[in-house]
Order: sequence, then structure tokens, then C-alpha cells
Amino acid sequence: MKRIWSQCIKELAQFRRDRLTFALAFILPLGMLLIFGYAIRLETKNIPLAIQDFDASPLSRSYVERLFATNQFQPIAWSGEGDAIAIIDQGLAKAAVVIPPDFSRRIKDQKTSAVQVLVDGTDVNNARVIRNSIRATTNFFLQIQNLQPRTAKVVTRIRLWFNPGRKESLFIVPGLYAVILAIFPALLATLAMVREKEQGTIVQVYASNLSAAELLLGKGLAYFIVAMGEALCIMGVGSLLFRIRLAGNPLPLLLGTGLFAAASVFYGLFIGGRASNRITAVQGVAFTGFLASFLFSGFIYPLSNIPFPIALIANIVPARYYIDVTRDAFVRGTGWGSTWVALVAIALLALLFFTAAWRGLRRMQLPG
Amino acid sequence: MFKVIQRLLNSRFWTLAVKEVQQILRDKKLLFMLVFPPTVQLLLYGLILNPDVQYLKMGIVDQANVATSRELIAAFTENQVFVADHYSIGQQTLGEQVRQGDIAVGVVFPPEFNRQLAQDKPAEIQVLVDGVDANTAGIASGYITQIVQHYNQQLDNGETPIILSLVAPKITFLYNPGLISSWFFVPAMMGVVLTLIGSIVSSSTLIREKDTGTLEQLLMTPASAIEILLAKVVPLFVLLLGDALLALSVANIIFGVPLRGSFPLFLVLSGLYVFVGIGIGMMLATLCDNQQQVMLTSFFVNMPLIQLSGAIAPIESMPAFFRYLSWFNPLRHYVAILRAILLRGVGLEVIWPQAIALLVFAAVLGTISAKQFRQQVS
Repeated sequence: MKRIWSQCIKELAQFRRDRLTFALAFILPLGMLLIFGYAIRLETKNIPLAIQDFDASPLSRSYVERLFATNQFQPIAWSGEGDAIAIIDQGLAKAAVVIPPDFSRRIKDQKTSAVQVLVDGTDVNNARVIRNSIRATTNFFLQIQNLQPRTAKVVTRIRLWFNPGRKESLFIVPGLYAVILAIFPALLATLAMVREKEQGTIVQVYASNLSAAELLLGKGLAYFIVAMGEALCIMGVGSLLFRIRLAGNPLPLLLGTGLFAAASVFYGLFIGGRASNRITAVQGVAFTGFLASFLFSGFIYPLSNIPFPIALIANIVPARYYIDVTRDAFVRGTGWGSTWVALVAIALLALLFFTAAWRGLRRMQLPG
Repeated sequence: MFKVIQRLLNSRFWTLAVKEVQQILRDKKLLFMLVFPPTVQLLLYGLILNPDVQYLKMGIVDQANVATSRELIAAFTENQVFVADHYSIGQQTLGEQVRQGDIAVGVVFPPEFNRQLAQDKPAEIQVLVDGVDANTAGIASGYITQIVQHYNQQLDNGETPIILSLVAPKITFLYNPGLISSWFFVPAMMGVVLTLIGSIVSSSTLIREKDTGTLEQLLMTPASAIEILLAKVVPLFVLLLGDALLALSVANIIFGVPLRGSFPLFLVLSGLYVFVGIGIGMMLATLCDNQQQVMLTSFFVNMPLIQLSGAIAPIESMPAFFRYLSWFNPLRHYVAILRAILLRGVGLEVIWPQAIALLVFAAVLGTISAKQFRQQVS
């Protein structure tokens, strides 16, 4: 125990002395929090919309007003002459609404009037958003103009739980905590491990009576402390900037963060122990850690959208479980009930990475 | 003509370039870097990033249990946006399931649904949507409203068969009528991959000479700094342009992404962007002392470049500060160019601003890194 502790103290001293690693531990995570936290918004507001109103009647004008009243669309400066497709081709508008000349006449005659809507389908997600909101606005227009043939038979009362204002930051930022804590502690741990190897000091460790497990636990403990500091730092800043509050029992989050930090650090130690030099180690951790926590965790789009065989990879990505814990802690607030499975999974993965790192090191140990 | 070739072949530049090519070809790791990571990244991003709203688990409490409620449930689950997952008994259980995240949407047909229908009053159904994923929740609730509206119109139609709805928006999706999500991500990822590989490969070939001290030896030869630099850049340029073609083939063959615009234009602008990528790499190499620093810095330079390029999240929805900042991001312009040429099939008449931006970046980065290189060298 004492040996683990002194190994940890030594590691922390080394960590403090190196400016690069210090920046890596605190400044870069905060930078990433800011950029990702502010810049990832999947749904577009202020979509530039072109209008071609061939009818130009009071009715068609009030329809156009209705479209812009949602403040989801923004009118573009366009004379309305020429081809609407050309405007979208040039990228000046993301959608165009073409109102036919007989728009109000047909409505007065109680006939359906077809409004042509052209949507730029490049951004698939926002194309859907645009379609939904054009349809919804059209229905709303019909209702307030009393043009609905009769009152609806079935009405829906939709309630959005947890996030009634549909703030995307509530989804992105807690997920971001998982992505950041998956990358940086692992990167620091891997650098520490591989430094020992490159400078040859690992041989001294091998020759000493420090066992592989003690070495790993000592180093692990040091970076675990750093990782917890990082977690406190980004969650504190994130909560302030993005106005996110703990929604329920903080204990699952605390336990989950501890386990996840350990998993991340052990993963770094494992890669560091395997890699022959720093470049491979850093590349390995940065590449796999980032890709895995970014793509296989449900950070941006639902996990269930990943096609079958590669979806299996997600099962061994700790961030995939931790993201459930952070989203529960900061948004849902259900506590132990829905998070215990995730907690067990993270613990098992931490153990798996530790064992893998330990097996790699033990072979180098001198017998006795 | 023959003389020009003769002179080129005898020039110091040629000798250095041949040396550079031999060095690259001998370096199996570098070749591997040029082929393997770009392909894997394109495949992963193309297959995994998928904003489709589909197969959402729907929990149902049907306390009315009449024809209308059953018809509506069938309508909800008809086109695979929702799958009926749990039929539960009480509203409380349903609420708990939404809370725990077991189901994404809960629908409740209250007991009075039937009575309201019979009395010709608007019958109310309650829908609970898990709002944690704001984007999915928005689209899902849009679908629910539409399905119910459509159902209402059908009911009306049965009795008064004349009118469905007085205003019918006919919505056409241009460029990607099937809304295939990989068509959105893959062209952008082609740009991302070129940035990553270009900057890493070019910086590491330069820094290696620094690391091993062979740069000094090269400088002792009569070749000038510019000749050395050019001899390094030209073979890399050719290789990376090959990478762009590789990415295009992966996009085209595996994901079926069309190339609607002109291929020569794609080639020219990609060449310009490859040059920008090499410029970024050269900058990194002159700023850093060793390969490890280059790796770390390139990781952290590339991440914001990718994030602020509109490759994943649209630029229009970013806060104003980041929107303006993204103008200084060459990748943003290249991503716009790729989507324009591949999907929209437009030419230089539309994308000239982006092309000029790339030209400026290439010129600025090229001059700065050449200057830096010369300074470090002399």
C-alpha cells in the first residue's frame, strides 16, 4: 500500500512539473467543452427560406406571414422572379415555397390548392425538420383561417418530458463530459507509461521489487486524482455556462465518474504498456479514444441507428454507459434505478482494462 | 521541349524529389497511413452517423380499446418510425418507463376517449415524449402530430369525400430525395480525412529529418532551401491527391454518393485543398521540435477545424462568434465545395467564393511555412 502511494506521489510530482501535460489535463478539455458545447446544435434555426408568391392576395400573404412567424425561417432578399430551384442551387436558400396563382381562388372554391415546397436535402436532418415545420405551419394556418373542413376528431396533447424547451445543450453537454473524460485522462496515463519506457526507467522498475499491479495502481491512482479534478473542472464550468443543474441524486454520478475515470486511466496505461514509442501510444489513444467515445456512445445520434455487426463494438466502449449516467444525473434524475446496469458495466470494463494492462506488464517482471 | 525535360531530370529538384519518393515508398508505415485510416474513417462515419428517426420504442396504454384507438396505433407504427414495444396497463407504469428511458414515446388513450368520440367531441389522446435528445424528440413529435392529422383527414374523407385539406404542401427534397444520411456525412468526411492525413503525413516527413539530423546534411548540399522544400511538397501532393481519389471512390462505390458536378473541378479544388493541408502540416512541423509534439498539436488543431466546419453540425445553428470564426477555417470551405460539387452538381459559378478562400489559404500558408522553413534552415 505504501509503495502504491509513493509511486502515486512521484507521478503527481512529475505531472506538475511538465507544462505540456498540465495543459493537456486542464486547458484543452475546457477548450473542447467550449467548442463542442456551443458549436454542436443539430437543428438549425433561422433557415433561409425563399418565397415565390404568384397569387399575391391577402390570403397568400397571411400564409407567408404565418411561415415566418415561427422564427424558424428567415426571409431572404430575393425579387421572387426566376426559378426557385436556382436559388437553392446557389445555396442562398435552404427551402423555397412556391404559391400558385390560383391559390386563394381555389380555396374560396373549396378546392385543394397545392403549394410547391422545394427543400435542400443535403442536410438530411434539417430537411426533415423543415418538412415537419412546413406541414405544421400549414395546418395551423388552416385552423386560424377557419379553413379546416371540420373540427378534428382526435386531438393530441404532446408533452415533452425533461426538456420541454428542447434545449439541445441539455443533450450535448452531459454527453460531452463523457467524451472529454474518455480522451484526456487516458492520454495523460499513456504518456506517463510510455515515458517510463522511452527513458528506460521502466527497467529500474522491473528490477525493483515493485510488482506490476502496484506500479499500475500507483500510476493509476495519480491520474485518477487528476481525472477527478478534471471532471470537477469541466462539470463546474459546463454547469455554469450552459445552465445545467443536477436533476437528482448525485451519488450515481459520483460513483459513475469515479469508475469511468478509472476505466479511462487503465485504458491509457494498457495502450501505453503495449506501444513501443510515444507516437504510437498517443496516436492509438487519441484515435481510438476519440472515435469510440464520439461515434459509439450515442453522443450525437441514437445508438440504435448503428447497423448491426459494428453496433456490437459499442458494448465495450465505457463512454456508451457513462453517457447514460451523466444524462440521467443532469437531465432525467431517476437515480439508481436506471443507472445501476451502466455502473456495473463501467466497473467491469475498468477491471478488464486493468487486467489487460497488468498481463502486459507482468511478463516483463523479473521472477522473484 | 526535350531540352526542358532534360534540364528537369538533371536538376537538383528532381534528384531530391526522387529521393523523397523512394523514402516514402520504403516507409511502409507511411503508406499504411495513407490508405488505411482514411478508408476506415470514411466507412465508420458514413455507417454510424445517422440522424434517422426510426424504430423509436413506443409504449401504449389503451384504456379505450375501440376501433379508433386500434386504428390509430396501427397508423403510428405503420412506417417504422415507431415500434410498439410495451403495452402496459396503467399510465403510471408508462410514465415510469419514459422516465427510465426504456421507451422513447408513450401514448395514452384515456377511458373517456370512447365517450368523447361517441358524443362527437374532440377525443383527446396524451403523448409523452422523452425530451432528452432534443433533436429526435422534435422530429418524433412532429411525426405524431402529422399522423393524427392525417388520420383525422381520412375520417373526414369517409363522410365528406370532397376535400382533404385546402392547402396541400407538395414537398420535394432536392439533391437527396431519399434523405440518405451518408450522402450528407461522407462528402464532408472526405474533407476531414484529407485534413487529418495531409497535416500528419507532411509534418511527420519534415520533422523526421529534423529528428534524425539529416536536415543539416541536406542543407550542406548545394540545394537551396526552397528546392528542398519543393522536393518534399511535390511528391506528397501527388500522394495526397491520390488519397482524395481513393476517398471519392469509397464514397461513390460503397455509399453510392453521386458525383453530379464536374470531375476536373473536383480534382483542381481538391488539389488546392491538399496544398492547404500540407501547409498546415508544414506549419506544425516548423513550430514543433519533435514528432510527439506534432502528434499532439495536430490532434488539437484538427479537432476544432473539424468541429467548426459544418461537417457534422450545421454552421447556421452555431452562435454568431463561432459562425464568423469558421470563415477562417479552410475545411469549412472545402466541405461546402464537396457538397456543392458532389450533391448539388453546381460549378464554379456558385462556389467561386469558397474557391477563392481556399486559394488565399493556400497562398498564405505556403508563404508562411516557406519563410519559416528558410529561417530555421539558415
